[in-house]
Amino acid sequence: MMGQVAITLNVNGRNQTTLAEPREILADVLRDRLGLTGTHLGCEHGVCGACTVLLDGEMVRSCLLFAVQAQGASITTIEGVEQDGELHPMQKAFSEYHGLQCGFCTPGMILAGVDLLKRNPDPSPDEVREDMGGNICRCTGYQKIVESVLGAAREMNEVTS
Amino acid sequence: MTTTQWIGARAPRREDPALIRGRGRYIADINLPATLHMAILRSPYGHARINSIDASEARTMDGVHLVITPDDIPDHVTQFPIVWRLPGQKDSGIPALAQGKVRYVGEPVAAVVAESRYLAEDALDGIDVDYEPLDAVTDCEQALEDDAPVINEEWGDNVAIHHVFAGYNALGECHYEPEVFDNAEEIVRGRLTIGRHSGIPLETRGIVADWDEIHGRLTVHSESQVAHLFRTELAASLGLPETAVRVLTPNMGGGFGNKWDRYPEDLLVSIASMELGKPVKWIADRREGLMSTVHGRAQVQEWELALRSDGTILGLRGKVINDLGAHLHSVGIGPAWVTGAAAPNQYRIANYYCDVIAATTNKTPTSTFRGFGGPEGIFGIERMMDKAAKQLGMDPAEIRRMNMIQPDQFPWFNAAGAVYDSGNFPACLEKALEAADYDRLRAEQEELRSQGIYRGIGISSYIHVSGFGPSPILGYLSYYTGGYEGSTVKIDPNGKATVYTGMIPMGQGTETTLAQVAAHHLGIDMADVRVVWGDTDQTPYTGFGSAGSRSNVAAVAVIKAIEEIKAKAVRIGAGMLEADAEDLEYADGMVSVKGAEEMRSVSLAQVAQQAYWAHALPEGDQPFLEATYVYDPPNFTTASGCHLVVLDVDTQTGKITFRNYVVVDDCGPVINPLLVEGQIHGGIAQALGGALLEEFVYDSDGQLLTTSFMDYLLPSFTDVPDMEIHHVVTPSPHTEGGFKGMGEAGTFPPGAAVANAVTDALTPLGVEADKLPITPNRLWGLIKEATG
Repeated sequence: MMGQVAITLNVNGRNQTTLAEPREILADVLRDRLGLTGTHLGCEHGVCGACTVLLDGEMVRSCLLFAVQAQGASITTIEGVEQDGELHPMQKAFSEYHGLQCGFCTPGMILAGVDLLKRNPDPSPDEVREDMGGNICRCTGYQKIVESVLGAAREMNEVTS
Repeated sequence: MTTTQWIGARAPRREDPALIRGRGRYIADINLPATLHMAILRSPYGHARINSIDASEARTMDGVHLVITPDDIPDHVTQFPIVWRLPGQKDSGIPALAQGKVRYVGEPVAAVVAESRYLAEDALDGIDVDYEPLDAVTDCEQALEDDAPVINEEWGDNVAIHHVFAGYNALGECHYEPEVFDNAEEIVRGRLTIGRHSGIPLETRGIVADWDEIHGRLTVHSESQVAHLFRTELAASLGLPETAVRVLTPNMGGGFGNKWDRYPEDLLVSIASMELGKPVKWIADRREGLMSTVHGRAQVQEWELALRSDGTILGLRGKVINDLGAHLHSVGIGPAWVTGAAAPNQYRIANYYCDVIAATTNKTPTSTFRGFGGPEGIFGIERMMDKAAKQLGMDPAEIRRMNMIQPDQFPWFNAAGAVYDSGNFPACLEKALEAADYDRLRAEQEELRSQGIYRGIGISSYIHVSGFGPSPILGYLSYYTGGYEGSTVKIDPNGKATVYTGMIPMGQGTETTLAQVAAHHLGIDMADVRVVWGDTDQTPYTGFGSAGSRSNVAAVAVIKAIEEIKAKAVRIGAGMLEADAEDLEYADGMVSVKGAEEMRSVSLAQVAQQAYWAHALPEGDQPFLEATYVYDPPNFTTASGCHLVVLDVDTQTGKITFRNYVVVDDCGPVINPLLVEGQIHGGIAQALGGALLEEFVYDSDGQLLTTSFMDYLLPSFTDVPDMEIHHVVTPSPHTEGGFKGMGEAGTFPPGAAVANAVTDALTPLGVEADKLPITPNRLWGLIKEATG
C-alpha cells in the first residue's frame, strides 16, 4: 500500500487537513475524504466537466489534478456557492428556467456559469454556448441551461446597477 | 393560479433545491460504514476462449478481501433471464462472468473486492488469464453468412430470431399482397444504416449491496430504472425469497433506458456482500461504462415502397437486420420488433411486410435505449418518404399530406399490429410548415443555391406508441412482466397527502409531475403532497417502469386512487354534516352540500381526523383515509408530431450548421409544460448525437475503438440548436386526463429530419444521406464521391 501524505486545503472557506495517497485525484479526496459529494465524476478524463471546481478562483477539472497538487489552495465546490444560506442567482436561475433534469452535470454547470459571469457579466447566447462548451449535459439539450445563465446574468446585473 | 389547477401549471420542480446545492445523493455518494470496493477484470478480446484463470497472486495482495472467478460463483446462483422472449427466439441469459469464452470486449471475466477502489484495480494485475483468440465477426450481415464464426455455439448460428411481420393487424386481418409490389407504377428502394450508439447517462452505472446476516436481508442500493422487477430477478438469481431483498434507489444521473436492464455486476456485488458480510460497492468508470453498458440502435434496413404515380402509397416491404451484439440482453430482440411495428408510422399503408433478423456479433449487447426501436422505424419510413417524393418529383410535404391517416380514422389498426388511439397528424404537419414558413424557405432555397449555399429542409413525422401497456397484450407479445402501474395515496390525520409510486425517477421530474396530479385531483396545495419513491419496501409493485413514457399510466393510478379517497371522504362527511352522501360533493379539498345557499362543508383535514379517530365511521368503512389503485391501461397511447429542420451544408468540410429546428408535439394534455419542453429538448439532443456524432466503432477483431469521450463524441452546447416547440393537443380517448407518454418522443424524428435536410441540401450533387451518424468526415466523403 502506498504511503499517505497530509494535504491541507481551504475548501469553501474552511481549512481542512486530510491524509491521502499521492495518487488520489482531487475529486476523490473532496468526495471520499472530505465528504463533499456534490462534485460528480462523469468521465475521469477531463472531457465532461461534471467535476468542475474553482481552484484559487480558476475553473479546473478536479479529475485531472492530484490532490497533492492542490496543497494549500483555496477551492470552491458546489457546496460553497451558496452565501450565508442564500442561493446564488445562478442556482435560482437553473431551477426557475428548468436548466437541470437529472442534476448530475448541474454542479459543474453552475460553477462554469458563475465563472463565466465573473469574466463576462452580460454574455450573448452564443457566448454562453461557446464559453460553456466544455461542460456536457445529457438531459436538457442545453437550451434551458443557456436560458438559465442568461436569466442569472439579468438578475445579477439588476442587483448591481 | 388557484390552488386546485395544478395540471397544466409550469410548477417549479421539487427535485431542484437539493440538486442545485450539491445535495443530491447518487449511487456513488452512498458510503456505508466499512464498505469494500469492487473492480472488474474485463475481456480485452472480441472473441476468445478462456483456457485458464490464475488469480493466486491477486488473492494475496494488500487490502484484497475477495477474488471472484467463475469457479468462485456459488452453484445455486443463476443467470439473469431475458424478459422478452418472442416465439422462435433463441434463449440465453446474462451470466455474472464469462463462461469458458469471451464474446465482446468488456465482458466481465473476474472481480476483485478490496479496501479501496484503487487497491481493487491494483489487484486486477494479479489475475492471469490465458486467452486463445478466436475469429471474430463484427458486421451483422457477415454474421449471417454460413462460414461466419458462431458466437453462441449452442445456437448453431448467429441468428437470435427471424421474425416476420406478414401484414397482420391487431384485428387479425392480413394486409399483404405481394403482387402489389409486382404491379405498382412506382417502386422506390432504399438501403439505410443506423449507427450503434446509446444513452450514455452522464452518471455511469453502479451498485452497493449490503448483506445483513442477522435478518437474512440483502439491501441493494441500485440505479435500476425498474426496481421491483430488478428485485424479483435478483432474488430469484441469488436463491433468496423476494422480500429478503430490498432495493433502494437514490437520485439517478440519467437512465435513458440503459439502466433498465439487469447486469453482471448486480450479481457480482451481491455475491461478494453475502460472502463477506460487508457492504460492497462498484461504480463503473467511463471506459468500462462505454464497453459494458448496453448499446442501442445498430440496424441495417432495406425497404421497398410501392406507389401509384400520383404518390399514393400502396405498400411497404422491407428487411431489418439488428446488430444484436454478443448475446441477448434483458429485452431480447424487443427493439428490433418495435422497429417493425412502428415503420408504418402516420400513413395509410395497405400492404406491409417486414423481415426482422437479429444477428449476434462480437460487440457489446444492444438493448434498451430511449425510443426502443421506434426511432429506427421512423428513420426508415421517413427517409423512404423523401426518396419517394424525389423519385416522383413531388414536394416532401405533399406526399406525406396525401398519405396520412385522417383524424376521423381512429382507432387505426396498422398493418404491423399496432393500434393508434388518436391523433391529428395533418394538423401537426401543417403547423410545422407554417411555423417554419415553408413556402418562403423553398423559394429562398433556390436563391441560395445560386449563391453556392447548400440549404436543406428536412421533415419527419412520427408516432410514438407509449404507455406500455395492457398486460394481456404484453402477454400476447411474450413479454414476461405486467404493464400496470400501482399507486397508493394516503391522507394523514392532518389532511396532507402522500403518494407512493413504484416508478423510478431518472431526472424527468416524476416526483413533481405526480405531486401536481395528486394536488389537482385532491384540490389541495402542491406543497401538501409528498411523493415516496425508490424503496421497494414502501412502494407498490411495478413490472415495467420505463418511466420515460409512463407518467400517463402512473398518473392515472394516482387519479383512480384519489377517486376512491374522495368517495370515502364524502361518506364520512355525510355523517359530519348530517346530510345524505348523494347531496354532497368533493371540490377544492372540501366536502360540501351541493347547491346550499349557506356554505356547509368540512375540510379534507377534518374528514381525515374523523377517519383516524373512527368515532363515527359510516357502516362498512374501516379507519384511515387511503387507497391503492393498480391501473392496467386498456390500450397504448399514441403520441405524435412533426419535426422540421433547416440546415446548411458546407461542401468543403462536410460541416452542418442548423438554421432552424421546429417541433410540433402532440402528447395530449400537458401536465407541466416546463418539464415537457425539457423532455423534448433532451430527446432531440440525444437523437442529434446519434444522427451526427455518436458511434461505437469496432475494428474487425472486435476491438472497441471508442472508449473515451475523446473518441465517442457527445453533443455539446455548440452542436445542439435552439428548438421552437409548438403543440397540438389530441387527448387520448381512453386514459383519465387524456395524457400520453412523451419522454421518449423527442428521439424519434431527428435522425430522419436531419438526413432528409442534408439530402435536400445536396440535391444538386445527388448525395443521399442514408447512413447515420452523418459525421463531417462521412458526409465529406459522400460529397467527394458525388463530385468526383
